Amino acid sequence: MLNNIKTLNLRLSGFKTIALLLIALNVISLACIYSSLHQGGVFVGSDTLLRQMIWIALSWLCLLLFSFINYRVYYNLSYIIYSFNILLLLGVSLFGKTVMGAQRWISIFGFTFQPSELSKIAIIIILAKFFSSKKESGFIKDFLLPLGLVGLNALIIFTQPDLGTALVLIFLFVSIGLFSKVNKFYFIGFVILGIVLTPFALGALKDYQRQRLTVFINPDVDPLGAGYTIIQSKIAIGSGQVLGKGFLAGTQNQFNFLPERHTDFIFTILTEEWGFLGAIFLLMLYWLILMKIIQKIGDSSDDFVYFFTLGISVLFFFHIFINIGMTLGILPVVGLPLIFLSYGGTNMLINYILLGIFLNICRNNH
Amino acid sequence: MKNLFSSSQKSFFQTSANILKVIYLSGFFILIVTLGYYQIFKGDYYSKRAEKNYVRLMPIRAVRGSIFDRNGKTLAYDRAIFNISVIPYQIKDSKDALFSQISKYLDYDLALLNKNYKRNLQNYFSPVDIIRDIDKTIALNLKEKFGDLLLINPQPQRYYPYPYQLAHVLGYVKDASSFYEKLKKYGYSPLERVGFLGIEQYYDTYLKGEDGGDLVEVDAKGRAVGFLGKRIPKKGKDIYLTIDKDFQIAAKDAIGKKRGCIILMNAKTGEMLALYSSPSFDPNLLTAGKNTSKFLSSKHSPLLNRTIQSRYPIGSIFKPFLSLVSLEEGKSTPYTPFNCEGQLELGISRFRCLKHHGQENLFQAIAHSCNVYFYNLGLRSGPTLIHKWSEKFGLASLTKIDLPYERKGFVPSIAWKKNHLKQNWYAGDTLNLSIGQGYLGLTPLEVIRAFNLFANKGDLVTPHILKQISNLPSGLQKSINSGVNKENVLIIKKALRQVVISDTGTGRTLNSLGLGIAGKTGTAQTSGKSHGWFLGFFPDKEPQYTICVFLENGGSSYNALKVTGSFLSILKEEDLL
Repeated sequence: MLNNIKTLNLRLSGFKTIALLLIALNVISLACIYSSLHQGGVFVGSDTLLRQMIWIALSWLCLLLFSFINYRVYYNLSYIIYSFNILLLLGVSLFGKTVMGAQRWISIFGFTFQPSELSKIAIIIILAKFFSSKKESGFIKDFLLPLGLVGLNALIIFTQPDLGTALVLIFLFVSIGLFSKVNKFYFIGFVILGIVLTPFALGALKDYQRQRLTVFINPDVDPLGAGYTIIQSKIAIGSGQVLGKGFLAGTQNQFNFLPERHTDFIFTILTEEWGFLGAIFLLMLYWLILMKIIQKIGDSSDDFVYFFTLGISVLFFFHIFINIGMTLGILPVVGLPLIFLSYGGTNMLINYILLGIFLNICRNNH
Repeated sequence: MKNLFSSSQKSFFQTSANILKVIYLSGFFILIVTLGYYQIFKGDYYSKRAEKNYVRLMPIRAVRGSIFDRNGKTLAYDRAIFNISVIPYQIKDSKDALFSQISKYLDYDLALLNKNYKRNLQNYFSPVDIIRDIDKTIALNLKEKFGDLLLINPQPQRYYPYPYQLAHVLGYVKDASSFYEKLKKYGYSPLERVGFLGIEQYYDTYLKGEDGGDLVEVDAKGRAVGFLGKRIPKKGKDIYLTIDKDFQIAAKDAIGKKRGCIILMNAKTGEMLALYSSPSFDPNLLTAGKNTSKFLSSKHSPLLNRTIQSRYPIGSIFKPFLSLVSLEEGKSTPYTPFNCEGQLELGISRFRCLKHHGQENLFQAIAHSCNVYFYNLGLRSGPTLIHKWSEKFGLASLTKIDLPYERKGFVPSIAWKKNHLKQNWYAGDTLNLSIGQGYLGLTPLEVIRAFNLFANKGDLVTPHILKQISNLPSGLQKSINSGVNKENVLIIKKALRQVVISDTGTGRTLNSLGLGIAGKTGTAQTSGKSHGWFLGFFPDKEPQYTICVFLENGGSSYNALKVTGSFLSILKEEDLL
């Protein structure tokens, strides 16, 4: 009995910080999406906002649900989860819905679900399992086998085509590998090989790639190309200055200069309206979440926990850095959403589930 | 998964955590420095750029497909007009001053300018039309005076050279914006034009084409500084109709100011040659968005297409149909005589006839339109059989003509009366139905289609207006067998010819036309003035044309005969038949 109360307290203390941070992000997300749905000062669509609210509610439910499922389940089920995920992805190719030229959605009750997002969880789980259960056993078992599993998954996603998510999976593999006890030169060699081969790969895929990216950015104004979007985004961010133009007062947003503005470019809206201070505040929220996870990495009770929490932190950081870097024009435009903020349900759901699992780990490892 | 928990393991985890912390911190540092560079260091520069930033979408409307009649005469086409537009964002501070200046300069109503602006506003950076269809030289003068604040916006505008003659057939064209909420789900954009009523609506997807546009970057003064892209509009498809515009003109002239309609149909194919509903309206006014309250509030409802949208009792026109029912069911033969004493007594009620006809057979009864004869046929057949056969004749069902908003007519039945009026069916109801009165209500198009059975050997045609789209012919509409006995049809056809050629026939005035007309007159009583009907076909040997003339509250069938006579004599004089 006493024990129960004690665990409940621990549960709450682990939960409280994350919950407060998430609520703050929810508010920012809804405010930015609400603002993005304005044109010339007129609100032009409630549907999107309502959907985001439903997704947020659903995400919270999942967070709570997964925080009660013992994380060791994933260790045992890792291969089943991985296979299920691959089957689901193949299902998309057969029954998926084509949105913006990319076939990677499954539609359920009018809500589209993007199975490639699920791969992120599946890959973190399988890599955590892999690196935690292996002693040093050579190049093939330590490196090629996990690479094969990740590579297969990434390849399917890449053909759908979703370059961004495919890259995320490869990135997860390399970073988790580098922080394992497997020979680091395998991974460093792999990255160097990738960099050397990139120009060839780009050379082969360039037109296709560019076309795909432009379609992503805004199907209506494809003559504008990717560069134009970045210019507009930079103008929006820069003109926000230190204090921002104020809520609903971002001219770049209001006069329709920002494509994809409630999805991939939501950071642009935030910074145009809330300025440098707003951006710093957001980064601080992200930093606190990351620190919470990093703290757990250091305190890990076993290898699985270590690799799992490592995977989550890498995934979150990668999304934050790539997305914001993209809106600032210092990184190329790949269709990656800004976690916890962008409109788009599946990504949000997946991140909440990961946090749910993380909370369970915290609870069971004190 | 049971790892031995050792301190070396622990320190390994901690080292990783510290390395990650440094990496993440550097990542955030890079982002913050970049943000600082743009927002603080170059903040002023970007603020100025934001102020000057305009992208202007100049929509280029697609030219809509033209509509031609069966002989290739143009019935509807797009001509170029010049509109004066403004960009809202560009004039946001000077709008009132600008509008009052324009209003003074052109002597144009200021309230109207504001009203147009409000109505046409889509978003803050696309041109908004404030004056439509302005003379080109005036437009150029305006542009010279107000410069970059105004745009001359050339637009295609629908034009109908025979507006009143073809209004109901063609319909008109309007901006989708006012109905955008409804149209959105069909893939329309608010800047598009969309067909309303008639062929313009029914074949809108073929006619409309695809709008295009220029994407232009402009500076604060509205000067184009960069061209970002273009989508070339695609012209819509041309449509050819079965209608003959000369027939429409003749129909309008023949019916004059009376209310009603004239339909002329190819008896074999169901091609509509004339389909005119009176009173009519001017689609050019509706298309131009001009004041249309005249149409909308008129008590004569000119927008109503009387050929397909309104149900009327058909009076004696029902008699040949009832004859066919009776023959088919063997309730009478053509020579079964009934005695007419000017009325039929049923209980305490008296059901009247036009006069004391004496003993008559089917041919005489149809020629003279004797009510008593058909009261007897009606009583013998009964409402259930009449209802059943009416459906076979295609009455009380949609003709499926290619026009929107067709209504279907109504033939009463015992069950209907019981369920809806909670009353029993009386013999009196049967008598009323027998002479096309009472609860019966049919659209003129339904009636002409059913009546055409007598001209087309008992086969039903599908009335249609489309001849071809571009160079693709519409599928030939085949006749459907209605299931009636061909011999019975021919008997009634013969009787219908008697209506015109007999000295005492009700349609004898048409005999002088010499077209070989067979037909039936009808006077349907209403609470007000009677409706006048004439249904016929010609030449009677091998019928080519079937005609329906209907006059709403037009007095007796005599007036319908007069209109029929003048319509057909125009066609004959102009050698159009």
